[in-house]
Amino acid sequence: MSENHPGPVPLLAARGLVKAHGRTRALRGASLELREGEILAVTGASGSGKSTLLHCLAGIARPDEGSVTYAGERLDRLPEKRLSELRRTDFGVVFQFGQLIPELTAVDNVALPLLLAGTGRGEARARAGEWLERFGVRGQEEQRPGELSGGQAQRVSLARALVTGPRVVFADEPTGALDSLASEQVMTALVHTARESGTAVLLITHDAQTAAYADREVTLEDGVVVSGAGAPLGVSR
Amino acid sequence: MSTRHILLGLLARGPSHGYDLKRRHDERFPQARPLAYGQVYTTLQRLVRDGLAEVDATEADSGPERTVYRSTDEGARELAEWAGGIAPPAPFVTNEIFAKLVVSILADGDPAAYLRAQRTAHMDRMRELTALKTAPGADLSTVLSADYALNHLDADLRWMTTTAARLTHLTAEVDPA
Amino acid sequence: MKSLANDLRLAYLLTRGSDRREWWRVTLTALGAALATGFGLAATVLASLQGRYRLPVGNGLLDNPGERSGVILTLLLLLVPVLGFLGQCARVGAVHRDRRLAGLRLAGASVGQVRRIAALETGIACLIGSLVVTVFFVLFLLREWHSPSALAWAGIALVSLGVPALGALVSVLALRRVVASPLGWVRRVGPSTGRGPQWVFLGALALLVLVALAAVAATNMNMPDHTFSHAPLTVCGALLAVGAGAVLFSGGVSKLTGRLLSGRTGNPAALIAAERLREDPWASARTHAAVLMGTVAGSGFLGVRAVLVATMAEPVHLARPDGFYLAGLNLTAAAILVGFVITLFALAVGTAESLATRRRGLAAQVAAGVPYEVLGRALLLETALPLLPSLLVAGAGGTGIAFTYALVLGGGSVLPFDALLVPVVVFGACVLAAATSLPLLRRSVRPAELRYA
Repeated sequence: MSENHPGPVPLLAARGLVKAHGRTRALRGASLELREGEILAVTGASGSGKSTLLHCLAGIARPDEGSVTYAGERLDRLPEKRLSELRRTDFGVVFQFGQLIPELTAVDNVALPLLLAGTGRGEARARAGEWLERFGVRGQEEQRPGELSGGQAQRVSLARALVTGPRVVFADEPTGALDSLASEQVMTALVHTARESGTAVLLITHDAQTAAYADREVTLEDGVVVSGAGAPLGVSR
Repeated sequence: MSTRHILLGLLARGPSHGYDLKRRHDERFPQARPLAYGQVYTTLQRLVRDGLAEVDATEADSGPERTVYRSTDEGARELAEWAGGIAPPAPFVTNEIFAKLVVSILADGDPAAYLRAQRTAHMDRMRELTALKTAPGADLSTVLSADYALNHLDADLRWMTTTAARLTHLTAEVDPA
Repeated sequence: MKSLANDLRLAYLLTRGSDRREWWRVTLTALGAALATGFGLAATVLASLQGRYRLPVGNGLLDNPGERSGVILTLLLLLVPVLGFLGQCARVGAVHRDRRLAGLRLAGASVGQVRRIAALETGIACLIGSLVVTVFFVLFLLREWHSPSALAWAGIALVSLGVPALGALVSVLALRRVVASPLGWVRRVGPSTGRGPQWVFLGALALLVLVALAAVAATNMNMPDHTFSHAPLTVCGALLAVGAGAVLFSGGVSKLTGRLLSGRTGNPAALIAAERLREDPWASARTHAAVLMGTVAGSGFLGVRAVLVATMAEPVHLARPDGFYLAGLNLTAAAILVGFVITLFALAVGTAESLATRRRGLAAQVAAGVPYEVLGRALLLETALPLLPSLLVAGAGGTGIAFTYALVLGGGSVLPFDALLVPVVVFGACVLAAATSLPLLRRSVRPAELRYA
């Protein structure tokens, strides 16, 4: 478990998270730490509370009990406006699908977070174009998500999540809908960029081969983090 | 895996000496167990004995003496036959994990703890292999052979996950007392 | 008969197990059918009268065939916004319905069976709406008119059964692509595109015009002077042209606005709205067309009204008492208002539907940090952007009619400046109608939506 590794102060820490959806308790006291620049995989069976944990950590949902601390700030106590801003500036999210606006072209989808931050259209598009090129989606800038293959769309999603230079990327089953080759391309793109820029990644997956891209792995079982495996940051590489 | 045929295959590109064959083998098949030089040497001698290869020349210009081998026509025929034939889908997989599990139940051990530990070890190995294949400059041979190993380890893992969920049933079956 | 009962049961089972929004569609469709039946019944019964009467209702406006034609025409025109409303209702939960029917087809149902089930679903909703209105209408009619003619009864039966039949027919027509290639609809994840300029709507409009002509001709029959004026024909033709033009114009403006804006704007809300317009410019063409027609009619009416009121104020001797004219004016105003309210309702339903369909995608946007405000602004802009230029044109047209009428017939004594206000008020009302779904944005777009991929 993370407590065993004397490391730097965690960037993101959850303590005793409890969260219920109606009568089902998705989280029942889950605790977790994510250190700066670390790639952490959260695995577990379907329904073990993985997505709910991600939502609580990313400030998308509020836990019923417990605390989430990000860079010294209590996320669970922040007002929605500040959370939204944080998700825009400090966090990036990648879901299985659905985070691209279907009507926007690939390049505009990637440029959107920059536009929200007040960057001009021309500059935003240029920077978005660079990210698309970096992720090997060149030539498809003006296509809409529906015209892209699953792997391409997911790499566009990655570009959108990373374009603002976030400190943490939350990825919820990013390869869930992809074949193994496309998964490999998406994961390689994510891992390389994260290491280069020192971005921490919280990777939710039920697939061991995807989880193997992480530095460390924790497992959720019935809403509790039960076991972790993996070397502390920097040892395995 | 047939070392004979792999060496024959490496010789198909032209005559070569033992050390060179070993080096090329290890380069081409990065995830396989590295060949011992002695094994290369004995295998080459057997190939010569069976008429599948012959001595091409003996070089001794600088350093130690080196015997250069080349493939014979029969060797080429044999190689083509082997390469075209299917590999039999393993009928009896040696499943050490399953054996340990059963033994653990019989000896009143903790099979669940064993499975967890085994899972951790598997994941560690998968992380190493993934790091290997995503390292900058990894060539395709490395990536493909790492993938092969990763897929097998993943299959083990999946099997362990479903088995862990059915451990009570297995215990009842193995140890009805 | 047995297979029909089977289909009926299947239709019921499928609807019962479906989304709450599908019940919304059924309820709203029934409401639309009720409105259509109401206007249709009134028009039919009036059309069954031939020659002069003394009717206890309507301030004498219904006594003569000439004015009666006008009333019938107005009632039938009110069907235009109702059609637009029904069109919007059909979209509520349509993605789910289409997928469900396509799934049924893949599960082995025959083409005919799926069509029958779809037709039954819509037909029964329409039948309920139409029957409720018919019952009340007949009760009212029997109180006012002791022995309605056989022709009137036949008309009532025709309308009350015809509305559900037409509803069923339209739903089958709208589903033809789903039934023909079901697989594409089951797998489809993105929004459906390429609706084209609403041929079903235009066809219904053309049918309406034919009915209007027949009704006006019927009520004018057996008149001694037998003057069947060309006015109704001209008005109908003009309206058909304006209606078709409005749909095409509205779609075209949406497309153009989308294209122009999407390439230039640096505002995220405007960018999202513009790209959505470019992607599906016909989505709101029906409701917008009704808005445009209402604007033309509204500002035109204000011109006519100003002149008539001014004339009444003069000591000139008019053919009828002032009450007669005022009743006519008020009735027209009421008709325009009712039509407009229906249109606004359709607009609100359409906006809410577009939100509900996209709520999962929108939830992902919110999760990624796109503020609710930006999404809300995009939603409003989607309505406002294409409406603004269209309304300017429609307002100019209506005001033109008003001023022309005032100058030519009123001699320019009064100028209907209030007609200029109509497009402004209409625009404001439309944006407000769209804004009614903003609370829905915060309520339905939640992270819980992300859990079901």
